[in-house]
Amino acid sequence: MTGSAEPALLLRGVTVRFGERTALQDVDLEVPRGQFVALTGPNGSGKTTLLRAALGFLTPQAGSVQLFGNEVGRLSIAERARRVAWVPQEESPRENAPLLDYVLYGRYAHLGWLQGETARDREAAVRALRSVGLEERAGDGVLSVSGGEKQRAILARALAQEAPLVLLDEPTSHLDIAHQLDFLSRVRGLSRERGVTIVAALHDLNLAAQFSDRIVVLSRGRRVADGAPADVLSEELLARVWGVVADLRRDPRTGVPYLLPHQLVRPASSPPGTFLEKGPVHVVGGGGSGAPYLRALSEAGYRVTVGALHLLDSDLETAESLGALTAVEVPFAPIGDEVRERLRTLLEAATAIVVAPFPVGPSNLPNLEEVRRLLGRVPIFLIRRAPGTEWDFAGGKARAIEGELRDGGAREVVGVAEMLAALAATPVASTPQ
Amino acid sequence: MHLHDPSSTSKPLRQTLPLTLLAVGLIVAAGISVVGVSTYYAVRPGSPSGPLTITDDLGRHVTVPLDPARVVVLGPSIMDSMDRLGLRSHVVGVDCYASTLGGLSADYSPNQIALWNLSSSMCVQTGPTFNVEQLLALGPQLVLAATIVSVAAVEQITQTYQIPVVMLQPATLTGVILDDQLLGEIFGASAASTSLVDTLELTLSQAASFQDNLTANGTPFPTVLVTYYADGSGYWTFGPGTFGQSLVELASGASISANATLSYPELSGEQVLAVDPQYLVYGTGFGLNESTYTGGPFWSQLSATQDGRAIGMDSNYFTEPDPTMILVGLPQLIGILHPGPSA
Amino acid sequence: MVTPPPRIARASGRRPWVLGLLLALLGVGVFFSPILGTVAVSPETVLKILLHQASGGTLFSDPCAGGSVPASGCAGLIEIVWDARLSEIMLAVVVGAGLGISGGTLQGVFRNPLADPFLLGISSGGTLGAAVVVVFRIGVSEQNLVLPLFAFVGAIGTGVVILIAARSRFGSVETLLLTGVALSSFLSAVLALLLLYSPTGSLQVDFWLLGNLGSLDWTQDGIAFGVVLVAGTLLATYGRELNLLQLGPDVAQSLGVDSRKVRVRLLLLASVTTAAAVAFTGIIGFVGLVSPHVVRRIAGSDYRIVLPGAALVGGGFLLAARDLSLIAFPGTLLPIGIFTSFAGAPFFAYLLFRRRGASTMGVP
Repeated sequence: MTGSAEPALLLRGVTVRFGERTALQDVDLEVPRGQFVALTGPNGSGKTTLLRAALGFLTPQAGSVQLFGNEVGRLSIAERARRVAWVPQEESPRENAPLLDYVLYGRYAHLGWLQGETARDREAAVRALRSVGLEERAGDGVLSVSGGEKQRAILARALAQEAPLVLLDEPTSHLDIAHQLDFLSRVRGLSRERGVTIVAALHDLNLAAQFSDRIVVLSRGRRVADGAPADVLSEELLARVWGVVADLRRDPRTGVPYLLPHQLVRPASSPPGTFLEKGPVHVVGGGGSGAPYLRALSEAGYRVTVGALHLLDSDLETAESLGALTAVEVPFAPIGDEVRERLRTLLEAATAIVVAPFPVGPSNLPNLEEVRRLLGRVPIFLIRRAPGTEWDFAGGKARAIEGELRDGGAREVVGVAEMLAALAATPVASTPQ
Repeated sequence: MHLHDPSSTSKPLRQTLPLTLLAVGLIVAAGISVVGVSTYYAVRPGSPSGPLTITDDLGRHVTVPLDPARVVVLGPSIMDSMDRLGLRSHVVGVDCYASTLGGLSADYSPNQIALWNLSSSMCVQTGPTFNVEQLLALGPQLVLAATIVSVAAVEQITQTYQIPVVMLQPATLTGVILDDQLLGEIFGASAASTSLVDTLELTLSQAASFQDNLTANGTPFPTVLVTYYADGSGYWTFGPGTFGQSLVELASGASISANATLSYPELSGEQVLAVDPQYLVYGTGFGLNESTYTGGPFWSQLSATQDGRAIGMDSNYFTEPDPTMILVGLPQLIGILHPGPSA
Repeated sequence: MVTPPPRIARASGRRPWVLGLLLALLGVGVFFSPILGTVAVSPETVLKILLHQASGGTLFSDPCAGGSVPASGCAGLIEIVWDARLSEIMLAVVVGAGLGISGGTLQGVFRNPLADPFLLGISSGGTLGAAVVVVFRIGVSEQNLVLPLFAFVGAIGTGVVILIAARSRFGSVETLLLTGVALSSFLSAVLALLLLYSPTGSLQVDFWLLGNLGSLDWTQDGIAFGVVLVAGTLLATYGRELNLLQLGPDVAQSLGVDSRKVRVRLLLLASVTTAAAVAFTGIIGFVGLVSPHVVRRIAGSDYRIVLPGAALVGGGFLLAARDLSLIAFPGTLLPIGIFTSFAGAPFFAYLLFRRRGASTMGVP
């Protein structure tokens, strides 16, 4: 590393619009030298636009883009090529050039007019091929090698450019699993051993977590998450940004988080591709009592979470069919500490809590206890129970807690419609990060 | 890893292929230019000289030799004049424009070939290409051009090889007469040209007075279609501004295509049938004969064909602006259109 | 390690020595071509005349001795061989080279193996320029200079208009092509209208459209040569940029090539080269299309070789067309454009079908 402290890539307040559509909205990003950043987000979130802005392929409507301290727009195209290299998503060359020639194309920015490639350029190309493991294939045509080898050749070309910043746009989309791992580990090697700054747009969050130093998440043109993989990846993030329900695990060997996706978050009746915007609203229920409220909330566009329920509970089926995150306990057992912890997480993430008229016994009383903990911090709605029904099987404790809730500001509503109206009318705190 | 600084590398500049080619090319170019231009001007004769400067039909002022012995004639119309002026012996080359792969029969009728004693070794232009080498082999001192394909190519002849080219492209029959006078001037054949001109003018005035008679008597001009080609879609004829049209007017005929928009319009079968001209005159020669026209639309329904007033004439009489058009074609057409006792 | 596909195509390597071979072949062609012409001259006489003229008259004081001499004498024969024939041969080489290198450039810029030098409507513009001169009888006494000038301006003008019109959607290849097609159609319609009222003009324009060598002098040859040489050489220096442009304009830009500027420059230079070539000879087809492909087949697809190679092949091709036309139809010089199409089409088919896995620019 040299003494100069300018970041490799700096975006300040960058806004990019294409006609009516805003691709990037007021994005800030600072990538220090030598870092490996994974840029991720759903389709259309602006990843490619950000990379293109960094390459100087487009001019933002607002904000500035700097490479190593210089405005991209003010650099000549050759100067840009000496600072930043690009590995595109796919490339279809028309000529069957030998790989060495293909990699030598990367030397263009270092050659003068009419200047031929010198030994030094050839050495750089061969070194680049070696670092991607294609040195023996230097004479083979680019059209005759496999997809993985072609992608590595393109990486080698970017390396031959000797640019200190390399941008990659979905470089592993068309590669099989072995080549994905191989490619990304080579890229990481570049970053670790040669101090090359890497910004790679990646779809696969797990690969991003495994190989990158830092994950930046874009959603609808805004930066919504940024940090080390362990800090950024969460089930909540996946649900909120991608609309996918997943389990978060941790690789026992490396401590790196990984996500196991289950299903999409959407009500059955909504068209595919719509993701629920509002919420999450946590519903406490059981025994079928929560089902109508779960469905209504989902139809109204709220993400819902449910818990804690026991494994054979019919509400659990409803919840799972709606793609809700759940806290689940084994049948007939009292809610244990682990599940309680889980419930607490869900409750704390919720923007509102709905208590359905469920029968409460000693095994699910902790539900109400945990709801009580959040009294005053989050809007709580109690569905009025039908008078005359016996529902407290916990020796009066349930009634007592519900009384506390009412006294403490929880609102009682009658039925689905009033619940929805009350929810809509309630100012909801912004979705926690 | 610091930023690569392109100016810091100190490797020798390697000469590449394009640079070498550039150098070689420039040397070769210089060489050719020097050698070619210098020898070209060393061996070049002077610019065309001659005692006579005339103005041709395109308004060009051309310096020509007096009575040149070797002349190339491009166009049968000029050959006609040359022959009638007794200058045939001066002609060493002719054009064979329509005869793409040699031969004369597509340009000259058998009569003309025999009359003018032509052979295909005289062809200077075959097909649309101007055969420069043949022209140079013949070594003419003057070129007379009526039918030429490329004015630019012919201009080049004058400038490069100092062979004067006189363009004789009369627009009217008066122009034909003037051209014959010009030829007399160039070849010093004033006696022959005056005699020819007088005959031409006499014929024209006779036709004019015949027309005055008709007009005075109130006799209407007969309607006539002169067609030079027919196919299934219609009859091709002469429109305004053409010699064919002029000839019909001089012969006191009322051409049914007198008001057409194009110079060489095609009239459809319906148009002709609607007018039903009194006379049909069809062009013959060069493979065209009556059967070409009988295949035209409504041919047999036209009253002229039924009454025996469909008559063939040599196409050349309508298309080649030369003395023969006036001396042979005009009287023949008058005879066709006005049978019976005439002036 | 993944095994490569069974049919391993040989990579197309660069073979720069082929350029030397092509140059030598061209030289041989130029050397032997003066023997052929519409007027029969014996080879010995031809050689003697050439040496006589080149040495300024010092060698062979009577070059025609021992051979048959036409009516115009030895002077006439010298004119035939040195002025008419040799300048025609030089023109064939220059025009062929210009068309070849221009065709290669356009194939590279548009990344299309079927591009030819007239893609940007240059033929329509040039023909219209020539037609205006002919129909309105402009400069009748100097029409041999005025016609090429107007044709050149018409051709170049069309190219420039297209480049300017496409600036709004700058750099888009599709815009350039569509503008070219639109303008070309419009100009052709104007041309047709113009010729409808002038049958003799129509005759002369048809002649121009067929492409013709010959009846030029050294000065005009020199002008054509100079322009084609300068513009063509400049084009040849863009070989590397053209290589990179094949990867796509974005990738090329990321590697340091200002795709838009380079593209415009290349198209302008190619237009100038083509316009200069056709201004004197009319439209000659096929040479610009076929020559780059020949080079790709034998010397690889590197544009640093394809461009100069296409110039050499183009020159040789046109010269060979002239020679073959004289061998096949002695005594007549067919309009050269007919012959290039006649000979070019089957040759092109042969090139296409005789694949050996080397690059054909993606042509299946």
